[in-house]
This record gives sequence, C-alpha cells and structure tokens, in this order.
Amino acid sequence: MNSHRLAAELRKIFPGDRIITGELERRIYNYDSSFMARFHNYMPDAVVLPRSTAEVSATLRLASEHKIPVVPRGAGSGETCGCLAVRGGIVLDLSSWDTVEEVDVANMQVIARPGVVHYKLNKHLSEYGLFFPPDPGSTRMCTIGGMVANNSSGLRAVKYGTTEQYVLGLEVVLAGGQVIQTGGVKCKALKNVSGLNLTKLFVGSEGILGVITKVRLRVWPRPRARGIAMACFADLNEAPAAVLDVYRAGIMPSGIEVLDASAIRAINLYRPEINLPSSEAILLFEVDGNPASVEWEGRQISEILGKRAFSLEWATDPDRMADLWRGRSVVAVAAARLRPDGSRIFAGEDISVPLDKVTEALRKIKELSLKHEVPVVNYGHIGDGNVHTAPVINLNSPEEVGRANKLVDDIHRLSIELNGATTGEHGVGAVRNQYARDEHGEAVNIMRRIKEALDPDNIMNPGKLLPPEGDTGGV
Amino acid sequence: MVFEELSGLKEHYLHCVRCGQCRSVCPVFEEVRNETAAPRSKVFLAHMLSSGELRTGPEAAAHFSRCILCQACTRECPSAVPVHKIILAARFMLARKHPSRIRGTIFREIWTRPALLNLAAGLIRCSQSLGLVKMGLACGLLPPGFSLPGRLPRQPALDSLPEITPAAGKATTRVGYFLGCSTNYLYPEIAGSTVSVLSQLGCEVVLPKSLKCCGLPLLESGELEPVAPMALYNLAAFKRLGVNTVFSDCASCTATLKELQAQQLFSGIEVLDLSGLLLELLDSYNSGMKALNRVATYHDPCHLAGAQGITLSPRQLLRRTGVEFREMKDAGNCCGGGGIFAIYHYDLSMKILNKKIASIEETGADIVATFCPTCVMQLRHGLAKHKGTIEVVHPVQLLAQSLILA
Ligand SMILES: Cc1cc2nc3c(=O)[nH]c(=O)nc-3n(C[C@H](O)[C@H](O)[C@H](O)COP(=O)(O)OP(=O)(O)OC[C@H]3O[C@@H](n4cnc5c(N)ncnc54)[C@H](O)[C@@H]3O)c2cc1C
Ligand code: SF4
Ligand code: SF4
Repeated sequence: MNSHRLAAELRKIFPGDRIITGELERRIYNYDSSFMARFHNYMPDAVVLPRSTAEVSATLRLASEHKIPVVPRGAGSGETCGCLAVRGGIVLDLSSWDTVEEVDVANMQVIARPGVVHYKLNKHLSEYGLFFPPDPGSTRMCTIGGMVANNSSGLRAVKYGTTEQYVLGLEVVLAGGQVIQTGGVKCKALKNVSGLNLTKLFVGSEGILGVITKVRLRVWPRPRARGIAMACFADLNEAPAAVLDVYRAGIMPSGIEVLDASAIRAINLYRPEINLPSSEAILLFEVDGNPASVEWEGRQISEILGKRAFSLEWATDPDRMADLWRGRSVVAVAAARLRPDGSRIFAGEDISVPLDKVTEALRKIKELSLKHEVPVVNYGHIGDGNVHTAPVINLNSPEEVGRANKLVDDIHRLSIELNGATTGEHGVGAVRNQYARDEHGEAVNIMRRIKEALDPDNIMNPGKLLPPEGDTGGV
Repeated sequence: MVFEELSGLKEHYLHCVRCGQCRSVCPVFEEVRNETAAPRSKVFLAHMLSSGELRTGPEAAAHFSRCILCQACTRECPSAVPVHKIILAARFMLARKHPSRIRGTIFREIWTRPALLNLAAGLIRCSQSLGLVKMGLACGLLPPGFSLPGRLPRQPALDSLPEITPAAGKATTRVGYFLGCSTNYLYPEIAGSTVSVLSQLGCEVVLPKSLKCCGLPLLESGELEPVAPMALYNLAAFKRLGVNTVFSDCASCTATLKELQAQQLFSGIEVLDLSGLLLELLDSYNSGMKALNRVATYHDPCHLAGAQGITLSPRQLLRRTGVEFREMKDAGNCCGGGGIFAIYHYDLSMKILNKKIASIEETGADIVATFCPTCVMQLRHGLAKHKGTIEVVHPVQLLAQSLILA
C-alpha cells in the first residue's frame, strides 16, 4: 500500500492530530536509546497515537489485511531497537494513552493503560500508601506497557523481582485485531492457576505477539523505613563474596549495587562533591521494611561487610541516602568522563550471570576491554548477577566503533559461556536476537511456532527477539 | 543562550544517549504528547542538520520553534547535554540559511535601535487606540499572540525616570539598572517601583538613557549577529556612568547578561540578582515596614529558577512584606510564555498556561507575584481569560507598598 493510501486509511480510524505522516516527523521515530539505532534509518511509514482498544484493533485489522508491519512503542527508552520500525510499517506510539483506570485498594491492584509512565504510577499509588515495586533506572520516562513488554526490573529486583511477578492480567490486541483478556475475563483474584498462563506468555514478548492495551497489576504496601550501607573494597573479588555472605546470613536486601574502580573514578570526575572513597569496588546495600527490622538488618549487614571491606558506612538519613544513591545513579552518564572524546553507548550493557560467576564475568570483561582497546565502566545489580557494562568510545571514529561492536559481541558470548543470559532486563529486540539460537537451542523453534500461531503474517514487530530470517537452526 | 555554531556543539549532541529523560520535564512535550515534541528529538535533528542529512527549511524551522527555551530539559539531562543551547544554535543556522525580510527588519533594524523601537511602540499604541489591533485580531489578520501584551501604556518607563535617582537617605550603594524592553514598554509601573524601592533602601540608581535590548529576543529568533555589538554598547553605557554593578527586575535580562558575561561580552561589571540585593538592603533598613494584609503566591520564572537557580530569595522577599504566603503546586513549571514562543504557538502556550492558572487559583491567594515581566504578561492574560480576580504583580511592587506605607 502506498503511503498516501495508508494515510487515508488511517485517517478513517484516527483524528488528524493523532496521525503522523510528514517525513521529518517520521524520522524522529528513528531512535530509541540503543547504540544500533545511531547507525540505521528505520523510518516508519506512519505513526499513530491510539487512545482506545478499538483504535488499536482497527489498525491491526488494516495492517493484517495489507500485511503491513506494526510496531508498538512506549517511551522509546529501550536499548534494543525494540520499538523501531526495522521493516517500515506503522508505529503505534502508545505513550499518550496514559490513564490509570482504577486503583482497587481493597484488592491491592491497579488497572492502567499502556502509556502510564512508571514514576507517575507510583506517585499516584503513593496517595493510597501503595507502590508497584519494580523500579527501572528509566522510571521517569518508561511506560508500563514497555515494562510489561520487556519484563523490566531494576535496582530492587533482588527482593521484589521483575515486572512479571506483578502482572495479574492483560488486555491484548492480536495481529488480526482480535481482543483478548488474559488472567480471566472478569477476574480480580490475586491467585489464579486456571488455564494456560497466557499472561506470562505476553510479558516480555517485546511486542511480537500482540499489543498490550491494558494492564492489571498487583501492588504492595509501601515500606515504612529504608537504610543504605556502603562498603569499599580493596579487591574487586571481595565484592561478590560479600554479597554471598549477606545472603548466607539470611538477609534479603531490597537492592545491592556494585561500582568498579573505573565507575568510581568516573563518578568522582563527573561530580567531585560526591567524593566516593577511591577503591577497587564499592557495594551499596539497601534494606527496607519497618524501622526496627531496617535497623537490625543494617547492623547485621555492617557486621558481615566489616570482615571484607576496608571502609563502611550505614545511613538512614534521607539526605545522606540520596547522596549515596546519587553516586550510583549518575554512573551511566559519568562513564563518558573517563576520556575527553568519549561517549557512553548502550551496547553489551545488560548481561546476567549466575551469582557465583560475577567475579569471573567482571574480570573477563576487563580483559576484553583491554583486548579491544575500548574502555568500559562496570556497575550493576550485583545482587542478582545483572552486570551493566558501559563502553566509552569516540563516536567520530568508525574504526573504534568497529572495535566496540567486536567487544560487545564478545561480552554477549561471554554471558552464554558463563551459563548466563545476554540480557537480564533490557531485552533482545534487534540487537541480541542473533544469539537466540545459542541461548535457547531447540526452544527457539517453539517460540517461532507460537509466533506463527498468533501472527501468521509476521506483522507484529518483525525482526525482533527471534533469530534473524535465514536462521533455521538445522530444522 | 548560545553564541556558538551548531558544529561547535557536536561533542554535546553526541553525548545525548537518547534516554528520553528530558520527556519527563518538557512543558511542550507534556501538551503535544508525541515524540516530535520531545527535547531529544531536537538534539537528534540538530545532529542531522549539522551533518547535512536534514534539509534546512520551513519544516525544520517549525520544529525548532516549538520550544519555550525554559531550560528544564538541560537541567534534567543526566548526560549534561545543553539541549536549549543546541536548539538556539539550530535556530541560528536555520535563520542564516533562510534569511527573512520581516524577521530581519524587526530584529536587526528596529530592535537594535531604541529610537525605532520607541516609534514602533508608539505606532502599536496608536493602532490600539484606533481599535485596529482589535479588528486585526478579530478578522485573523493578526495572530492571536498579539493580544498578549494588552494595552500599551502612554509612556515607556525610560521617558519618565531620571538617569540618576539619588538614595532617599544616605547612599550606601550605587547600582546600575538594566531596564529591559518588557518592563520599559509594558510595565513602567514596575520600573517605577524598582527605582523608588531601591532609592528608599539607600541605593543610588543609575539608569542609562541610551540602553539597548539585552538581545534575548534576537537570540531566540536566530538573529545572532547584532547581539554582541549590542552587549558591548550597553556595557559601555554603564561604564561611562561609572557603574560597577548592574541588576534588572527582569529575570530574562539578568540571565542573558550573565550568559553574555560567560561569553566575555559583558565583562568587568557585576550582574546582581535583584531579590538577593533587596534582601540584603532590607537587613539594614530600620525605618520599619507595614505588613500587607494580602494572601500571595509566587511563580518561579524559568529564567530565574531554572537558568540561575534562584528560588529562595524571592519567597523570602515576599514574606518580608507581611503577606500570607502560600506555595502553589509546581511553582517551578513554566507558564508557557517565553517571549516569541507565545506568539508563534499561541494555542500551545495557552494550554501550558491553563495548568499554571489552575495551580495559582488552587492556592486561594489574591496576589500572584513573579520576578519576570514576560511572566507577568502571560499570567495576566491567562487570569483575564479565566475571568480571575487575582492580581499579578512584581515583588518590587509589593515591597513599594510595604515601604511607602511605613
Ligand atoms: C537510562 C536508562 C536506564 C534504564 N534502566 C533500566 C532498568 O533499570 N531496568 C530495566 O529493565 N530497563 C531499563 N532500561 C530500559 C528500558 O527503559 C526499559 O526496557 C523500559 O521498560 C522500556 O519502556 P518504554 O516505554 O520506553 O518502551 P519502548 O522502548 O518504547 O519499547 C520497548 C519494547 O516494548 C515494546 N512495547 C512497548 N509498549 C508496548 C505495548 N503496549 N504492547 C506491546 N509491546 C510494547 C516495544 O515494541 C519494544 O519492543 C533503561 C533505559 C535507559 C535509557
Ligand atoms: S535527557 Fe539528555 S541524554 Fe537523555 S535524551 Fe534527553 S538530551 Fe539526550
Ligand atoms: S527548553 Fe523547555 S520547552 Fe524547550 S525543549 Fe527544553 S524543556 Fe522543552
């Protein structure tokens, strides 16, 4: 279908101010925060901004009829080209559909439309003394739809887990326009094992199986108190060991974050006032709960860490906690300070390894960084083995970009070699699907069959998550 | 503010990781609600403009014009990308590639010459009196943004204020008054209060009769070249009168002067924040003040709170007048004014303004004070549309009442 005809058809579904067809404006839908997006032009043929299930359904009917790719998009904060039209087609920008439909306090759940931004949801829930625990670093921009589609998590996944643990049910529009409700059509129950668990199938499906148009989430009471322990180590190997010590003592912190020496240096260069002690590694442990339990756990953690760390601090003062956490939160950006011509890139940034392989992973990433002569900063959610690596490169040098791509490939392969995963929370999209066969083996064929059953014409977000075409894996 | 070529900012736009965090603070994005209004889209397109991948032309110009220059994105950006500077540099590049006769006449010919600007203001005043502006607005000949300033006063402030106003008592300080265009042409009463309050508090106020605009409207329009000569001209005017410190009652002028200083175009002179200066002077003022029996709230101008980080002293100042102070929700959110933005994008500007008006009304205050005459204009316009009875004032006006009643 040519673009004029497509625009005309879309105008039958959407008012003019919710269709974007101008070239300049479509080009703007060419990026998310991935490194890969910088080097490609993935301009969609049209962008629409749905605000009802009927609009999404009608768009998918139209797209099915004419076999036009459809790409759901939240805030475009993803790091995998997931929301980009790599095969052209229609982008559904769902971020303006952001109503919280119901906060059901009695039943501890909330119903939201896909575009609700994570921090806004939690701000709204706080009025009821509730919260939705997964907390991605992208809280200020990412949408609930994007979080569900990516099964996002964040700093507090150690204790609270990932988005999937909180999704009770979904409304999904399938490729042909059919609307289904998972988790029970009228169900408001918290526990439900009736039927095949389709909710879990759609969580983390990255838009390749359907468009999520409504989310029913379980929410929790807000903890009353928090505290943070910071420990500095002279040897990087001591950090993962200290994490295991704390677990063995029967304590489950709400967050455990690591910064390596380069991360510490970068933070101090970027914000000297944060003034982190110079060391080989810093661990930040956060505990939450009621005031008495927080104090008790803080004391226990300090005692345990004291055996390995050369310096230790326990804070419950909100300002001091904010300061300590600020160090962790600026690292993603501060990384670029390691070299004057450097930019931080989001690539190879999210591997996840077993807890007993974290030390090895960190060491090998350093070796790879030396081998490819690409400086990296390591930090991340060490409590669950999720290592964030930030390569810092000169984007003006094609040769260096080439070396960075090799490093990133090696890091992804390293994660598989260490019995881990190429991604712990950011997802696959178009940047890690090449590893799907190595990671999942035969199971990839089953994934394909599920995809074909739900989307026979492959119009839903094609080119993502599953291995690139041509990969038959010997089938 | 920017005095750089887009290409000179390359390192900055390469630092944008396109994380989208700036979406969470941009007032324009909040209304338009699609990616084309996200601050990062402007960084992205600026990159393409500078590499030649994007054609310069009206479409690109329209995109870059949809920004109030409130700087919220720049402050929010974790990668320290100076988004608003990149937007200004893009506007400059676009304006240079596509010169416009109208824009050139207004900003290069008229705005740079106080005599012509006076004449233009006089013509507008005449047209207003004859009902021509009203007619123009009604039949769509003039864009609705032209209704913003309201009726121009008979006389600009500069015509009625002396070059030197002595201190009422013993002079303790000598300060130069940078009288900006908005205060001068729209609100001479604010200028009057500024001068009388400072004089009463022991300042000799020096107001050069030959001042030109600070240059902000030119920067915003991409008409960069005249800005440096204007700044040097103004600097010389103050130096001739032996002034070492200047202030302005306009947050935008002060922010621009500070930026000009950073660019070495307004050097050797100290730019003071008026709210801080007034607080300091009040500390040693012992003639007493009368408490005003009013309920006041305060709107933070972007160019004061955002650009200069000044939020506390204006509030302290208001409290000193004895008013009952009530903080409004989101006091730091932009009012949607931003000078030429409200003219080009009136409807968008009004949507942003509506939220601000709701916050003001929610407080139950009978006065809203703000440190920027452009915000005064915008808020008055919004409150009039809402048929509100809340008075919009500059803090110096309250101070004048409090001091004079003493
Ligand atoms: C600075 C930064 C920090 C980050 N920190 C974290 C972190 O701590 N933890 C974490 O997990 N992630 C993190 N991320 C990654 C990213 O923010 C998350 O994956 C987020 O959930 C994506 O949400 P989004 O709304 O931006 O989705 P998008 O990027 O727009 O889309 C992501 C994917 O979801 C699909 N999708 C979006 N909405 C729908 C829908 N309604 N129906 C079907 N499919 C849909 C898209 O097609 C795409 O495949 C971070 C990103 C940045 C830039
Ligand atoms: S917040 Fe900064 S780095 Fe992130 S997208 Fe906006 S400009 Fe780019
Ligand atoms: S300066 Fe203000 S209006 Fe302009 S892009 Fe940034 S946040 Fe938006």
